This record gives sequence, C-alpha cells and structure tokens, in this order.
Amino acid sequence: MNVNGASVPALSLQRVRKVYAMGDSEVVALDDVDLEVAPGEIVALVGPSGSGKTTLCSIAGAILSPTSGRVVVAGTDISGFNPKQLTAVRRDLVGFVFQSVNLVPFLTARENLLVVDEIGKRTGAPARARADQLLGELGLADRAKNLPAQLSGGQRQRVAIGRALMNDPKLVLFDEPTSALDSKLGMAVMELIQQEMKARGTAAIVVTHDERITRFCDRSVHMDDGRITKS
Amino acid sequence: MKLALRELRRRPGRFGAAGLILTLIALLLMFLGGLLDGLIRSSTGAMYALDGDVVVYTASAEDSFLRSRIEPTLRSTVDGVDGVASSAGIGVVQLGARLADKGPRDLLDVVVFGPEAPPLGVDALPGDGEAIADTTLQEQGVQVGTELSVGPARSTLTVVGFVEDTQYLGQAALWTNPETWRTVLTDNRPDQQLGDGVFQALTVRVDDGAVAADVADAIDIATGRSTASLTVVAAAEGLPGVEQQTATFNQIIGVTVGIAVVVVALFFALLTVERASLYGVLKAVGARSGTLFGGLVLQAVVLSAVACVIAGSAAIALDAVIPPGSIPLRISGTRIGQSAVFLLVAAVIGCAFSLRRLLRVDPASAIGSGS
Amino acid sequence: MFLALKELQRAKVRFGLLIAAVALLVFLILFQQSLQNGLLTSFVGAIRNQSAEVLVYRTDGRRILQGSVISPDLEAMVRSSGAAAEVARIGQGTFTVTPGEGGDGVPIETSILGYEDPGLGAPTTLVEGRLPEGPGEAVASDADAELGFGVGDTVTVLPGGLDITVVGLARDVQLNVTPTLFVTYDTYVQSVRSRNPDAGEPLPNVLALRAPPDVPADRLVDQVNGLSDELDTLTRADAADKAPGVAQVRQSFQVIFLLYGFVVPLVTGLFFLIITFQKASALTLLRAIGAPARTLLTSLLVQVVVVLGGGLLLGIGLYAALVRGRIGGIPLRFETTAVLVWTALLVAGGLLSSLFSARRVMALDPYAATTGAGVGS
Repeated sequence: MNVNGASVPALSLQRVRKVYAMGDSEVVALDDVDLEVAPGEIVALVGPSGSGKTTLCSIAGAILSPTSGRVVVAGTDISGFNPKQLTAVRRDLVGFVFQSVNLVPFLTARENLLVVDEIGKRTGAPARARADQLLGELGLADRAKNLPAQLSGGQRQRVAIGRALMNDPKLVLFDEPTSALDSKLGMAVMELIQQEMKARGTAAIVVTHDERITRFCDRSVHMDDGRITKS
Repeated sequence: MKLALRELRRRPGRFGAAGLILTLIALLLMFLGGLLDGLIRSSTGAMYALDGDVVVYTASAEDSFLRSRIEPTLRSTVDGVDGVASSAGIGVVQLGARLADKGPRDLLDVVVFGPEAPPLGVDALPGDGEAIADTTLQEQGVQVGTELSVGPARSTLTVVGFVEDTQYLGQAALWTNPETWRTVLTDNRPDQQLGDGVFQALTVRVDDGAVAADVADAIDIATGRSTASLTVVAAAEGLPGVEQQTATFNQIIGVTVGIAVVVVALFFALLTVERASLYGVLKAVGARSGTLFGGLVLQAVVLSAVACVIAGSAAIALDAVIPPGSIPLRISGTRIGQSAVFLLVAAVIGCAFSLRRLLRVDPASAIGSGS
Repeated sequence: MFLALKELQRAKVRFGLLIAAVALLVFLILFQQSLQNGLLTSFVGAIRNQSAEVLVYRTDGRRILQGSVISPDLEAMVRSSGAAAEVARIGQGTFTVTPGEGGDGVPIETSILGYEDPGLGAPTTLVEGRLPEGPGEAVASDADAELGFGVGDTVTVLPGGLDITVVGLARDVQLNVTPTLFVTYDTYVQSVRSRNPDAGEPLPNVLALRAPPDVPADRLVDQVNGLSDELDTLTRADAADKAPGVAQVRQSFQVIFLLYGFVVPLVTGLFFLIITFQKASALTLLRAIGAPARTLLTSLLVQVVVVLGGGLLLGIGLYAALVRGRIGGIPLRFETTAVLVWTALLVAGGLLSSLFSARRVMALDPYAATTGAGVGS
C-alpha cells in the first residue's frame, strides 16, 4: 500500500458516479461526485434518506465499486479493484462504525476488537496489546471481559469505535453513530470520536441526519439526489 | 477460526439440539454397522479361523459342508496340484448340546468341527472326547471341564479350552479331533456317516507366493470340475445370508449418511441465514468469504466429532449392556472410526449447501441497515 | 394460515430440505419395517401359515423343522397318550429343484413340506388355485411364482427327476428364505426316495396335533411335553416366534426403530425452534400490532403439520414405489399397518417437539418491539 506521509489525502473521490439497474430503468445514486478528505479531517455527511450518503460511504469504504470515476484511499487508487482486493483495502486501510453497533454477540468486548486481527494479519501478541490499549483509552478497561449484552448502549458504541481503530486505519466511516443513543449520550460519543480522531490524525466521515452533531466536525458536506449540494 | 470455536463454546445451547441429532445419527450408523459386523461374524467366524487358504467342496454340494464328501482318491488328486502345499480334511455336524444344570429343552446350538489341522488361535487339537469351545459358550455357563451331552445320542464332549470368534451360521463351534467328530457324527446322524478317510471338505494351504484364487481354479481343473474350490474369504461370503445381509445393511447405512448430510445442510443453512447480518459486518471490516466458510465447516466438523465421541461411547456402553446372545452386536474401533469418517464427510458436504448463501452476503448490508 | 403459507412460499429451500429429511427418515423406517417382516416371514412363514395348531418337535431338533426327527417310539408315545384328538406327520427337507418354465432353468434350493392331513399342516393362505389332491401336486409360495413356481409350472426334483406340478399358490409360506412347496406326505416320501433310492421310509420331522374340543392349545402343549423330555411341543405361534434367530432379528430392528423414531421429532423440533428464533423480531412486531398469540401459534402448528404431512406423503410415496420386489431374496411388501402406526407416532412426536417453539412464541413480549430488543437478541 502506498502511504506517503501526511500530505496525501485520506480520501479522494473524482467524478465518481454510481448507477443501479432497477428492472429496465436506471437509478443514479451518485452523480459525478468530487470529494477530498485530508488526513485527520472529520467530515459530516448530511442529507435526507435516499440522497446517496450510504452509497458514497460504501464506495469510500471499499464495499462498493463506482460505475465510473476515480477513488483513491490514502494514496491507493482502488477504482478498478476486484472484490478480493477491496476486501484487503477494508481490512488494512479503513475502519467502520455501523449504525446498529453490530458487535459479535458471543464475544467479549476485548475479543470483538481482536476479531479484526483474526480475520486479517493475525499478529497475535501485538494485536492483544493494541486491543488493551484501545480499551483503556476508550475507558473500557474494566469492561474488557463483558459480553455486549452486559454493556450499555454507549459502551457498545465505544467498543465499536475501538474495533474500527484496531487496524490503524487512515479513514474511519461512521454510519449514524448516535441514532440509537439518547441525545446526551450521543453528544458524549461524538466528543469521544472527535477526540480519538484528532489524537491519531485519522480522517473520518460521519453520516448523519442530525445537524447538531456537525459541530463536532471540521466541515459538513450536504447531499441531495446523488449530488453534493453544499460543501 | 477462533471465532467459530468461541461460538461453539459460548453458545453450546444453540448447537445442542443439532449435536443431539448428529449423535443419534452417529449412534445409528455405529449400531447398524456393529449389527452387520456381529451378524457376519456369527455366521463366518469359524470359516476365517480355518487354517488354510482354500476350501475344497465337491461340486454338487453347493458350497455346503453338509452335502459335500471328499474321498481319499479325490484328495490325492488335490494334493498333486501345483501350488498346493498341504491339505487337511474337515467335517462338520450341527447339533444341540445339553448342560447338566439347564432345563431339559434348553439346548445350546453347537456345531462340532473335526479338522485335521487345528484352527487359528489353537495350538494343537484336543484329545479324544475333548473339545475346544467358542468363547460365546462361556456366556451360557460353559467352563473348562464342563461336560456337554451332544445330540440325541448324548455323546459326551469335555471342554478343555476356549477360542474366540469361531461361530458358524450363528452357532458356537466345538473344535474336536477328526476321530471324535466322526464318532459324534456316526452316533447322532447315522444317515450322514462317512467312511474312514472320507471328509466333508478339505482346507488347502498354498505354496508361498502362490495366489489362492489361482490354486483354487487349478484344483477344480485337475479334478475335472468334480470339486468346487473357493478361497476362505469367498467360502465365508458364500455362506447363506452373508451377502444379502451385507448388501441390505450397506444400503441402509448409505441412506442414513444421506440423512446426516441433509440434517447438517439444514442446520447450517439456517444458521447462515440467522448470521447474515453478522457476516455482513465481518465482511465489511475485511473478512474473506473463505475465512467465514472455513469457520462454518470447522463448526460442523467439531460438532460431528463431538457427536461421534459421545455416540462411540454410547455404542460401547450399549454393547456392554445388551445381554449376550440377544442382539448380535459387535462394536469395533474400526466400525466406530468408519462411521465417524462417514459423518464428518457428511458434515462437510452438508456445509457446502450454505456456501452460496454465505458468498451472497453483501458487506454493503452492514451500512445503512437500520435506516 | 395466511402467514404460515406465505412463509412456506418464501423459504422454499429451507422447508424443502426439512421435508426431504423427514421423507428420507420415514422411507427408511417403513422400508426397514418391510424388511423385518419380510425377513421373518421368509424364515418361518411356512410354520406360521399352516393349519396345525400344535407342533411336536424332537428336543434335539432345536426348533428347526429339518433338524427334528421323530422316532417311531416317540410317535407311538404321542399317539397312544390320547392327549390329542388327531395326530398327523409332517416331513420337510431341502432339495435341489429345477424350476418350471417361468424360471431361468437353473436348479435352486427348495423346501418341500409334506403333510398327511390338510387340517394338520396345509397352508392356510391360499391365494390362487387349490390344495394338492393327488401325488405330484404342490402349493408353492406365491413370492416365488415368477421364478418358475407359478400355477401350472412343473418342477423337477434332482437328482431323481421326480416331477411336481404347482396347482396352487399361498401367501407368506416360505421357509428359510427358499421357495417352498407344500405337498401330500406321499409326494414328500417320493421326493426323498427320488433323491436317494436307498432311503427307506423317512421318519417324520414333526407331528401335527389337533386338540380335542374344549382343550386349549396351551394345555395340550403341557400334556404332550409331560410325556417325555425328548419332545418339544409348541403352539403354532411359538414354533414360529421361537425358531432360532427370530428373536434376534426382532430385537435388533427394535433398537433401530427406536433410534430412528427419536431422530424424526428431534429434527422437526430443532428446525422450528431455530426458525422461531430467527423470526423473533418479526413475531414480536406482529404481537405489537395486535396479533393474538393464538394466531401465531396456529401459524406455527400449520407449518409443522405441512412439513410432517409433506415428509410423510413423500416418504410413503417413495416407500410405495421402491418396496415392490425383493432384496437379497427377501420379498418386500407395502405394510399398511406400519404406515398408519408410524404416521400417527411421527405426527404426535413432531407436534410434541414443536411445543418448545410454541412456548417461545407464547413468551414473546409485544413491548419488546418498541424497544427494539427482539427475543433473539
């Protein structure tokens, strides 16, 4: 992977277009989108349902391939990658925090972090040390052995953040990270995200409906009908 | 992989019912196989114990001792065939045996063998009026020194030792010397008595390096087809019922393995559906489909292996609990192992049904799933 | 109903696999039931389906017809005791026989069973033709009709060359899994002499007894057994059931049936339990929008019945299609009783095992839908 220090953008989308076939007609989910996210920058992606946020997020996170255009993640052009290569990009360069938390229910908090290592490089001891460190930083040291069911909503979200950071990603994608939480807890989680991203210099895109959380971000990008309307 | 094993350990309840079903199926496989082995053994054990490579009957006997008779002249023809190292006469008679402390109508089914060469597992033939008994007679209270009254003539045979695995068509063998057998036959079955030097059949040892089947053919050619010679294995398999039992049981075992495939397929297909969202997340964070499928197969294999261990123990326990003589069950390590291999293969094949569904899980499903 | 069937439609593969598993199991159980009955019938059918109510064996015969030989003094003892209203001889031997035109001409082992009195040893299950009336006539087991033992076929006893013509067929009268011919006692004696001209008058193998009026068969058995330890007297049913190997076959199959009988309800029970787990959130939602627990329960039971019914139908169909003919010389037959009994047992077992799922459905809390925490989570 080509990582050339801080000057390379964490994400660069150039004239990215995504078209879905729906029966005989076509639906344009992303329409010539350009977006650049600098290292350490936190971008809020705001827009109504169906505006293309999720598609943009999926393409940036190497889950989907664009129909046309160029996608560069941390200096690596992934536009023409096959599914196998995309899987490797997700594993090595990108982190995800999903809306419905999605922790593995039968694994402890610590093991949920180690899953990333197990399906990836399998470094063993270093991974365990990193998991412990992350749990400590996220205030979960005493919860390491708890199963998700034994954790509060906020704690679960913090475990999910820890999991996203396990592979030391260049870009973390947050999909509505506060929607399942009450507003006070939501704000606390956003504060934590801001703090953790800034401390690591990791770029982040936060997909949200909620205008209130944009204040934790460096800038907001608005989407509508597959286009970026305000940036 | 660790993920798969952890799930098995942390959520045993989820696999409990499937494990129970697989255990029952494994037990069925082992039981069916053990029953087949037991039936075949109780029919053919004595044949495999014969000290020889080829059994020679007369052609008209349809491979049965009772209808066969080999005259000394025919025997000398056999002895002269290339590849024949030595021959030994053998005779058989099936009778009821009385034990002093049993009821008057409570007879033991025995078959008196009178071979010139002692059976495998026996060093020397016993003296006149003595017999070496099959170990299954021990379950009936027969011990060394027990006197058995054999047949309507009440011929007395004294048991002087035991040998394992020498049943013949479900009856326990009593190994005597040829003279004793001849006396017992004459006294109890006067209609079947044979002259001196005449035996019912011959067992033939072939020269080192000679192929038993070829020597058997050569014997039949040399005797002008007045003999029917078979290798010991062919003679055992040719006993009434052996082939049919084997074919029938193997078909039943085959269908049972098929059921195991369907059960595993069903269970893991359901599990895959249930885990679709989890798989979506894992794929989104970079797990390969191969890794996830490997985990699934590992779970199936571990589950089946555990089922086999429990079923194997249960089969051994069943074998110990079943009263001797009721069900001809013979549980062997080989059979347990073979059943385990069948079940493990069935488990892997069953998992394959989930592969397509697993490949189809879209990592994109993890994003925006709640909206 | 609507819900249950909609789901069946949507998840065809899943339900299809389950139905296939149940069908295979049903088929195996029924097939083995036929196999067991066929095996027992072809071993001792000739004893079970002959007319003599009580049979006297020689003790040394160990309850094998051919192994038993009644000496003249024993026969005289039974006749003179006056215990039985009627005493008649039965003789039985295994012969090599060239079958009639229907067969392939290859000589086969055949049991010939001769009786003196049609009321004491003739087959009771005549399905075609008539009983033998004169010398050289026989009733054959109908399972072997197509092997050259059909009505009108003439078979030849080797090596003497005695011809016997089949004049009737009886059902389930095989002995020791060989074609079986019921003949008059004279024809039996001729068969023995044709094989071995030096044989004198062959001794009867067993004696058939008729009990005097008012004397039950059991008492006659005790009376005759009291005459001598050399005599082993049995009722017809005991003679069949206590023949060597019969009990072993029964017990072996019982264990097999027991194991299969457990597997079917377990497979169905497990399946529905998992499905209920999977559907927990959907079911909770349905409860929240006002579906009574009873509706959901009915829907579950409808599916269980559809699966069991489908599996049973398919399994029985497969069984009906494949059970014709014979396996390893054993004639197999569609066993209606077995089908009915196993259908009842498996439906009951399947419904019982689905109670676990039913309990789970009943325990669903509609409130959980509002908090987003399904039962499965």
